[in-house]
Amino acid sequence: MPDPRVAQYAKVLVEDCLDVQPGWEVLVQAQPAARPLVEEVVRAIAHRGAFAVVRVTFELITTSPMWLKEAPEELLSQMPKLEAALIENLDALVQIQAPVNTREGSDVPPDRLNLVRQARRPYFEGFFTGEIPWVGGQFPTPALAQDAGLTLGQFEDFLYRAVLIDWEEARASMRKIADRFDAANEVRVVAEETDIRFSLQGRQAEIDAAGANMPGGEIFYSPVEDSAEGVVTFSEYPACYLGHQVPGVRLRFEAGRVVEASAQADEEFLLATLDTDEGARRLGEFGIGCNPAIQEHMRNTLFDEKIEGTVHFAVGNGFPFIGGKNVSAVHWDMVKDLRRGGRIELDGEVVQENGAWLFG
Amino acid sequence: MAEYAKLLVGRCIDPKPGWQVMLLSTPLARPVLDEIARELARREVYCLLRLDFGLERYPGVAYAWASEASPELLGRLAPIDQHAVESIDARITIEAPENTRDGSELDGERHAQIRKATRAYYKRSMSMEIPWVSCQFPTEALAQDAGLTLAELEDFMYGAILRDWDAEAEAMQRIVDRFDQAEEVRIVGEGTDLRLSISGRNGTVDTGTVNMPGGEVFYAPVEDATEGVISYSEFPAVLDGNEVAGVRLRFEAGRIVEASAETNEEFLLSTLDTDEGARRLGELGIGCNEGIKRFMKNVLFDEKMAGTVHLAVGQSYEFQGGKNTSVVHWDMVKDLRNGGRLECDGEVVQEHGRWLF
Repeated sequence: MPDPRVAQYAKVLVEDCLDVQPGWEVLVQAQPAARPLVEEVVRAIAHRGAFAVVRVTFELITTSPMWLKEAPEELLSQMPKLEAALIENLDALVQIQAPVNTREGSDVPPDRLNLVRQARRPYFEGFFTGEIPWVGGQFPTPALAQDAGLTLGQFEDFLYRAVLIDWEEARASMRKIADRFDAANEVRVVAEETDIRFSLQGRQAEIDAAGANMPGGEIFYSPVEDSAEGVVTFSEYPACYLGHQVPGVRLRFEAGRVVEASAQADEEFLLATLDTDEGARRLGEFGIGCNPAIQEHMRNTLFDEKIEGTVHFAVGNGFPFIGGKNVSAVHWDMVKDLRRGGRIELDGEVVQENGAWLFG
Repeated sequence: MAEYAKLLVGRCIDPKPGWQVMLLSTPLARPVLDEIARELARREVYCLLRLDFGLERYPGVAYAWASEASPELLGRLAPIDQHAVESIDARITIEAPENTRDGSELDGERHAQIRKATRAYYKRSMSMEIPWVSCQFPTEALAQDAGLTLAELEDFMYGAILRDWDAEAEAMQRIVDRFDQAEEVRIVGEGTDLRLSISGRNGTVDTGTVNMPGGEVFYAPVEDATEGVISYSEFPAVLDGNEVAGVRLRFEAGRIVEASAETNEEFLLSTLDTDEGARRLGELGIGCNEGIKRFMKNVLFDEKMAGTVHLAVGQSYEFQGGKNTSVVHWDMVKDLRNGGRLECDGEVVQEHGRWLF
């Protein structure tokens, strides 16, 4: 008996997040283990009278890590024409991660990966600007459960609880918080080894409630690029990116730029990523986790950044559709827990303490 | 695995730097796909990996989508895929099914629509416009259909594949030289007496380039000349996960005028009614691979079995002078090792599956 939650999840992706229209060509990118969800997704796409262009690959960005490790650099720095044509012509994109090993791809040297990311970035502009609907989600696999410290059954319950919530209601409650932030100029985040200020002046919030991520459940901004000042220490959780888990990341900002960076382990990867390009040392995103169904850190950014009572900072690419100007091949979300002694201030007024909002 | 990958990339495709090579398979073939990706990277070509869960016969068409999509959508590729197919420089298809019955839940009408849509994938390769190769990777499902354990199937497959292809080519050349001189081929066997014309047509030796394993000599028979009866009494005819036992076909002036089967006759008849070309022959093939001794319900191997012939209804190869067009190409294998014979213009050239020259 198939798990009915899989078909419900597929409907949320195809109907709520993408709102697929007849005749569209919808790219479905997934890893092989996502098969049950891919099948429900393509079924839902067929119901809407659209083409499902399915691309199952071993790894979503690199498609074949083996090829990436061996190919000459000239090839890496240019997307194959047919892949470029694919991205340029599609009408919507759904990406489903379903790793059989979350360390897949971590043996690819970062500079090789950067070449590929740089080559891909211009083609994906339409997704960052919000012109082309897309959504990224995950399908529960033993590997994801293992990283989360859960059994597969527990992880499935966790994931489906987080994605199958009442998205209309979630949107309304996030709207109230976003209104408060939209009215403010300066945000200050204070917590253990953390005191950072940055400006949201002239920037509007984006509310993610069944949008580009599934689960949704965050409010995010692209902060003013040269405004961040101070220190943030991600002492509670490792910063996870591209198969790496970097513990104890500490970043010091001056005039919006990371001028000092350290980590308790894998510092080399942190530094190499920050040196990818000029934009990789500036904030592209400040996000506020608002999904009530997510309470625990899972070493899984897609979920972790939505934990109610946390914020996240992404170094790298900003979102032009909400005024972001920072450009980078990197977008690395790092999650900071504020539930034990942290607080958020807006223009000097405390609005959240210990992860709980102080306004109604 | 590395040897297999080298054979496919080096011998079959021989790509030039900068090419975009499409690699079609299922996730189960990962060990050989990794080796191929490595080989392609070393030759400085792009690897466009296209994995799906079903049979590679319908690349890019997900069954779950195909079971729900409207006929208009089903009958053509997504324009994005159409463009890709028309632009690739080479294609490697590796069948590695998880379950060879995947897709058999779709009705004949849907199969016909998908075949129409995916024809684009084969058009450029059938006309030899681009280098291509179709082959398989041993999986439990293929082993099960062959009645073997996985280890046995692996031995069988690699025994048929990892051969001295230059020596095989030489032996097959002698056969094609004899047939090229002939006008008429007669196949006689159990329940079978069939005459075909290959007048003006040249044979092709499959030396392990477009198929792996190779090991056949094949012709596009003259479209309106076939007369007589053939009974596939030894082996079932297998297409798209459908098995049809005891197929019997009677030809008049090249066209099938009578068709029957012991099982699944309905599938046979609806396939023959797909289009006009589906009732005419597109291929006469002669199996020459001595590494293949037993029937596996696996056309890629079965049609190469030394001592057998196969006839395909449907699409023929243009580059051989074939004029028959159809979305169908169904190879059916006839065993001649027990009392069968082949004649060229009345002269017996093979008896009991053994060559007389």
